[in-house]
Amino acid sequence: MKELLTAKRLTVEIASALLVLAIVMFVCSLIGSESISLKAVFARPGEPSEVNPDYEIFVRVRLPRVILACLVGAALGCAGVVFQAILRNPLADPYILGISSGAALGAIIAVLSGFSWTLWGRSPIAVFAFAGALGTVWLVWFIGRSAAKSNVTSLLLAGVVINAFFSAIIMFLTSVAKSQQVYSTIFWLMGNMTEEDFNVLWFSTLWVVFGIVALFYISPQLNVISFGSDDARSMGVNMLRTQTAAFAVAAAITSIAVSLSGLVGFVGLIVPHGVRLVFGPDHRRLIPLSGIVGAVFLVAADTLARTIVAPAQLPVGVVTAIVGGPFFLVLLFKYTKRIVL
Amino acid sequence: MDIIEVSHLSFGYSDTEVLRDISFKVKQGTFLAIAGPNGAGKSTLLNLLCAALKPKSGSINIDAAPIDSYSTRSLALKVAVVRQEFVPVFGFSVIETVLMGRMPHYNHRLFESRIDRQIATEAMEATDTARFAARPLVNLSGGERQRVFIARALAQDTDILLLDEPTSFLDLKHQVGIYDLLKAAQLQKGKTIAAVTHDINLAAQYADAALLLGQVQADSSGFWYGCPRDIFSPEQIERVFGVKIFSGTIGEEKFFMPLGKFAKFSGRIDTNINKNT
Repeated sequence: MKELLTAKRLTVEIASALLVLAIVMFVCSLIGSESISLKAVFARPGEPSEVNPDYEIFVRVRLPRVILACLVGAALGCAGVVFQAILRNPLADPYILGISSGAALGAIIAVLSGFSWTLWGRSPIAVFAFAGALGTVWLVWFIGRSAAKSNVTSLLLAGVVINAFFSAIIMFLTSVAKSQQVYSTIFWLMGNMTEEDFNVLWFSTLWVVFGIVALFYISPQLNVISFGSDDARSMGVNMLRTQTAAFAVAAAITSIAVSLSGLVGFVGLIVPHGVRLVFGPDHRRLIPLSGIVGAVFLVAADTLARTIVAPAQLPVGVVTAIVGGPFFLVLLFKYTKRIVL
Repeated sequence: MDIIEVSHLSFGYSDTEVLRDISFKVKQGTFLAIAGPNGAGKSTLLNLLCAALKPKSGSINIDAAPIDSYSTRSLALKVAVVRQEFVPVFGFSVIETVLMGRMPHYNHRLFESRIDRQIATEAMEATDTARFAARPLVNLSGGERQRVFIARALAQDTDILLLDEPTSFLDLKHQVGIYDLLKAAQLQKGKTIAAVTHDINLAAQYADAALLLGQVQADSSGFWYGCPRDIFSPEQIERVFGVKIFSGTIGEEKFFMPLGKFAKFSGRIDTNINKNT
C-alpha cells in the first residue's frame, strides 16, 4: 500500500527536490555560448572583468538568469496547480485562463506609451504587466461568477473569451506601432529571460516564496474542493474564503512571473501533471513539489533556449510551447472522456 | 432529545414553491427516511438541513441551536452529508478520500494525526472498503464508491448523517448492504440518520421515522411525518406518487409494488389491491 503523507516524509521529499534543483541550477549556469571554467571563476573572485571574465559571466550574466528562470518556473508551476484545483479542471493554466494575455496587454500599452519612469527599480513594462495580469484575473473571476454562480465551465470560457479579446487588441496595437517597438514586444510576448538586477530578483523571490507558503497552508482545503463545492462545504471548508485566497495568491505570483519574463506558456500545465503522475493528487505535496519541479523545468528550458541556436537566443516561451502544445492535446484527449464540463 | 427541529420551513426557487410550512422533530439516534416523487423537494430539504440552502422562512435547529449560528466548520462537526455519486477529476485513493472526512477536526493542522488515521481505518472497516484502500476512486464500481463516501462521512464523526439516495444505481445486494451498514452506524454509534430514498420498501424495513413529501398544493403542504407504518399506507402512496400499487406485508411491515398499465398483474389490480393489508 502506498504510504500516507506525513510531515516527515514531505520534508524529505522537498529537501531532495531542492537538492536536485540546486544541482540543475549550478550545472546550467556553467553551460552557455561562452564556455567558462569553474576553476577560473573561483580563482580570483570579485576581480574586474578584464582580469577574470569567467567570474564576470558567471555572476553577472548566468547566475541572475538562472535564478530568474527558477523563480518564474516555481511561480507558474504552483499557480497552475492552484488554478486546476479551484476550477476543478486539469486543463486550467494561467496562460489558458487569459491572465498572461492581460499581462501582455499591459506591457504593450507601457511600451507604446513610451514611459520612462521606474517603480522600485522596475520598468513601466513590468509594472503594467503586473497590473494587467491582476486586472484580468479579477475580470475572469467576476465574469465567470456572475455568468453562472461558481460554475467551472463559465469561468474557463470567460478566460478564453478574454484571451481572444486581448489578443485582438494586442494585434491592433502592434500593427499601428513603430517597427522597432514591435520587435521588442513580440520577443517579450514569446516569453523572454533577460539578466535582471539582483535587487529585483531578491524582492520577487521573497514574494513568490511567501505566496507558495501561503498556498501550501490552504492545500488540505484544495484537496477537499476537488470533490466539488457542496462536498467541500459539508466537510467544513469555507468555499468563498478559500477560493478567493487561492485565486488572489495564485494570480499575484503569476503576475510577478509574467512581469519578469513575458509570456511563458504551458509550465503551469506540464509541471503539475508530471508531479501528479509521480506523487499523486494530494495538494500538500503538489504545491511545494510543483514549485520546485517548475523551477527545474524552466531553468533547463531556458538553458536550451540560450544555447540551441547560439550565439543567437530563442525566447524560452518558444521552447516551453513546443513541448507544451502537444502535451496539452494529449491531456485534452485523455480528460475529455472523463470530465463533465 | 430532539437533535433536528424544523419548524414552519418554506422554500422555493425563483418562481416555484417547493416546500411549504414543514415542521418536524427528529430524536437523536433515529433513522429517518425521506420519500416522495421526483421534484417534491427531497434533495432540497436535505440541502436545507446541511445549510447548503437558506430557508425562505421558518427555522431549522440542529442540536438546539439555529443552523445559521454554526460556522461552516462547526456545522461540519455536527452534520455529514453523502451526496449522489461524484467522481473527482484528480485520482485520489480510497484512503486519501476517507481521511478528508477528518478535515473539520484538523483545526489548522496540515497533516492527519494518528487518531485521524485510526478513525479513518475503522470507518473503512465498517464499510468493507479497507480491502481496496490504496486504489483510486475512479477504478471502483458504483457500489464500492458509494461505500467509500459513506466511510468518509463516518470518519467525519458527526451526530447526524444525511444521505441523498444512497442506493440509487446499486444492485439488490449492495442496496441491502448499504442499509445494513447505516443501521449498524445508527445502533452502535447512536447516529441520527436521514436518508432520501426512492425505495419505500427498504425504507419501511429500516427506518424508525418517515417523511413523505408530495407536491405543494393550494390546500395542502404535501407533507406527512410519522412512523413508517402510518405514513406508508397504500392509499397515501397511491395519492402522493400517482400510481396504482399492490401492497402486501412482510411481518409487521407493508411492502408496495407499483403496477403500470401494461404490467402483467395490472388487469387484476382492482380486485386484488389492498386485500392483503
